[in-house]
Amino acid sequence: MEISFSSEENHFREECRQWLEANVPSERRPHDAADAIDFDKAWQRRLFDAGWAGINWPTEYGGRGLSIVQQVIWLEEYAKAHAPWIGANFVGNNHGGPTLILNASDEQKAYHLPRILKGEAIWCQGFSEPGAGSDLAGIKTMGRVEDDEIVVNGSKIWTSFAHVADWQELVLRTEEGSQRQRGLSWAICDMHAPGITIRPIRKISGQTEFAQVFYDDVRIPIANVVGGLGNGWKIAMSTLSFERGTGFIAEQVKHGQRIEELIELARANGMIKDDRIAGSLAQMRAEVAAVRAMTYRNISEVVRLGQPGPEASVIRLFSAELGQRLERMGVLLRGGDILDFRYESGDEAVGDYLRGFAATIAGGSAQIQRDIIGERLLGLPKSR
Amino acid sequence: MDLTPNDDQIAFQTATADWCRDNMPLEQSRARPTGLWAEVEAMGWTAMTGAELGLDHATEALVFAELGRVLAPVALLSTAVAGRWTGVAGKVALALEAGSGVRLLDSEGATHALGLIDGAIGWFAIDDAVEAVDSLDLSSSIARIDRPAGVERIEDPRAAFHLQLLAAAFAVGCADAARDMAADYARVREQFQRPIGWFQAIKHMCADMAVRSAVARSQLYFAACALDEGDVELPFHVAAAKRLAEQSALENGGDNIQVHGGIGMTDEAYPHLCLKRAHLLKFVAPVEDAVLLAN
Ligand SMILES: Cc1cc2nc3c(=O)[nH]c(=O)nc-3n(C[C@H](O)[C@H](O)[C@H](O)COP(=O)(O)OP(=O)(O)OC[C@H]3O[C@@H](n4cnc5c(N)ncnc54)[C@H](O)[C@@H]3O)c2cc1C
Repeated sequence: MEISFSSEENHFREECRQWLEANVPSERRPHDAADAIDFDKAWQRRLFDAGWAGINWPTEYGGRGLSIVQQVIWLEEYAKAHAPWIGANFVGNNHGGPTLILNASDEQKAYHLPRILKGEAIWCQGFSEPGAGSDLAGIKTMGRVEDDEIVVNGSKIWTSFAHVADWQELVLRTEEGSQRQRGLSWAICDMHAPGITIRPIRKISGQTEFAQVFYDDVRIPIANVVGGLGNGWKIAMSTLSFERGTGFIAEQVKHGQRIEELIELARANGMIKDDRIAGSLAQMRAEVAAVRAMTYRNISEVVRLGQPGPEASVIRLFSAELGQRLERMGVLLRGGDILDFRYESGDEAVGDYLRGFAATIAGGSAQIQRDIIGERLLGLPKSR
Repeated sequence: MDLTPNDDQIAFQTATADWCRDNMPLEQSRARPTGLWAEVEAMGWTAMTGAELGLDHATEALVFAELGRVLAPVALLSTAVAGRWTGVAGKVALALEAGSGVRLLDSEGATHALGLIDGAIGWFAIDDAVEAVDSLDLSSSIARIDRPAGVERIEDPRAAFHLQLLAAAFAVGCADAARDMAADYARVREQFQRPIGWFQAIKHMCADMAVRSAVARSQLYFAACALDEGDVELPFHVAAAKRLAEQSALENGGDNIQVHGGIGMTDEAYPHLCLKRAHLLKFVAPVEDAVLLAN
């Protein structure tokens, strides 16, 4: 075991740092998804042009073909440089693209992957439905197979960035009368196709960042199915493993920045003299360090074994809950100023706190994660 | 960067776990057979950290987590630190500052004691006449003595980090033991015609134990490497490892009793042994918030 990086990796870190220092935009990312979309696309394009997009993606699809360790180094420097949140490019970069790399045909990969990296195509994730959230296998959105097309009817909800997206990871039922995990397919849905209606939804933090999507005889070519008709559950699990695994490294790395800001703030306003506050800041600083150690362990396992070990599910849960405690502390340290928050005020401390409640809901709730840990890590009987 | 054990390290870890299972099981921890210490010495665990072998701290942490899992004698901690830093051979009792005096733990057959005293590792000769009685941690005796006159100090702060790291490793093992005991019981104990582990209130409690264990173990690995590599943030990382490890041992210790229900409250059953060991470990090279907050 070792925590030092190789000289090649240190050199790479230096390159990241220098580029970020010179290129991180000084203007803030706009508050709302619709306004932020141009910003997100332009920033992604800039990253791509400079060689910072798809660091560990294959070179033939526009990636850099570097190691996952280098990807982590990039994200560490990215957080330190206060570079903008990935925003609308989250799905494409963090789980849509990786799902395609692992499961899609050469044609699908050649078309979509470079567009994701260049910021030309925004992706969204159509898994959850009004009647099927935690219980993903309960989805009802139907795709009737007609010749070489699937005709889709139904609805998805909580679809982040749906109203600004070009493509969607759509999980739907393509076998009439099929039950649960059987008869599902994972298709690439064109969000500009006729028959799609999008109703944006505002969050408790004020941003309109997700939406309900309605499908009314939407036609998707069968060629857009990834991994074959009827194999949707398997591909969806692959997507979730990216989403819950390496997709959140950026979030985990960000905690390191956040705790230092909070300690600084508590020193500046004198609240650190309160032993309880000092005690919980000390505690969270230790926990943030442990999240880094867990992330490194997870990454080392990916490098050594080709996949993360069984404890990977633990990081997602712990990091999400720690993030919420950090934001709660941020709000506590701000005192009564938080009462001046308005949806339009752009107060990021309060906005991040409110938005952060999603960390234990989206991508599998904390309760579902605990079930998974209890069942897969500890071998307890399945309750579902 | 690689925070997974390499093949050699896994071999050490497995050999320790195997030996402990056959010769030093947790179930025996409150009444170890006489002669166990001699066997431990013969197996090389006390010499392992000595100057000649110079084993890396990462491997040592893995081994001590396995020893901690069976609630191995606590004098292994002080003996290991003595082996690397003092040249004293043989068993060395664990000394804990206690107001104007010192508590000696696990002192049977020890010629010396070692612990964190006035902010540095100190060691001193003890006399055979100290009278030891049972302690809260049923695996260890305790004796209270006046502060000894001739304490030798080790000024190199790495000696104190070494003790803190090994205590963290012991606590990681202790937390793992409680987690596994709880999960094992939750799989077999039935109520309402189902294993209690089927109920989420129990399943999620066990999941939280697994989370605490994984968090503590990860930081332990990081801290061990920091000590091996002389990382600039070494004091912080070792303190963080110790803090998270002792907490996970304490909280898992309590949850393990809860998962066991009535039997968990009995002297005869094993859950309380982990909890009591966790309380002891908290006093070994204790962590100050100031170190965790230092720039
Ligand atoms: C900000 C945000 C963004 C999102 N983005 C997307 C997206 O882009 N694409 C997408 O497909 N989905 C998205 N989601 C949806 C998300 O995946 C679901 O909200 C989540 O899976 C929970 O489903 P649900 O909302 O239907 O809640 P429910 O499943 O109804 O859960 C309600 C409560 O019951 C609990 N619960 C449910 N089942 C169990 C059980 N078996 N045991 C114990 N407790 C249980 C849950 O933990 C939760 O606390 C997003 C959600 C949020 C909040």
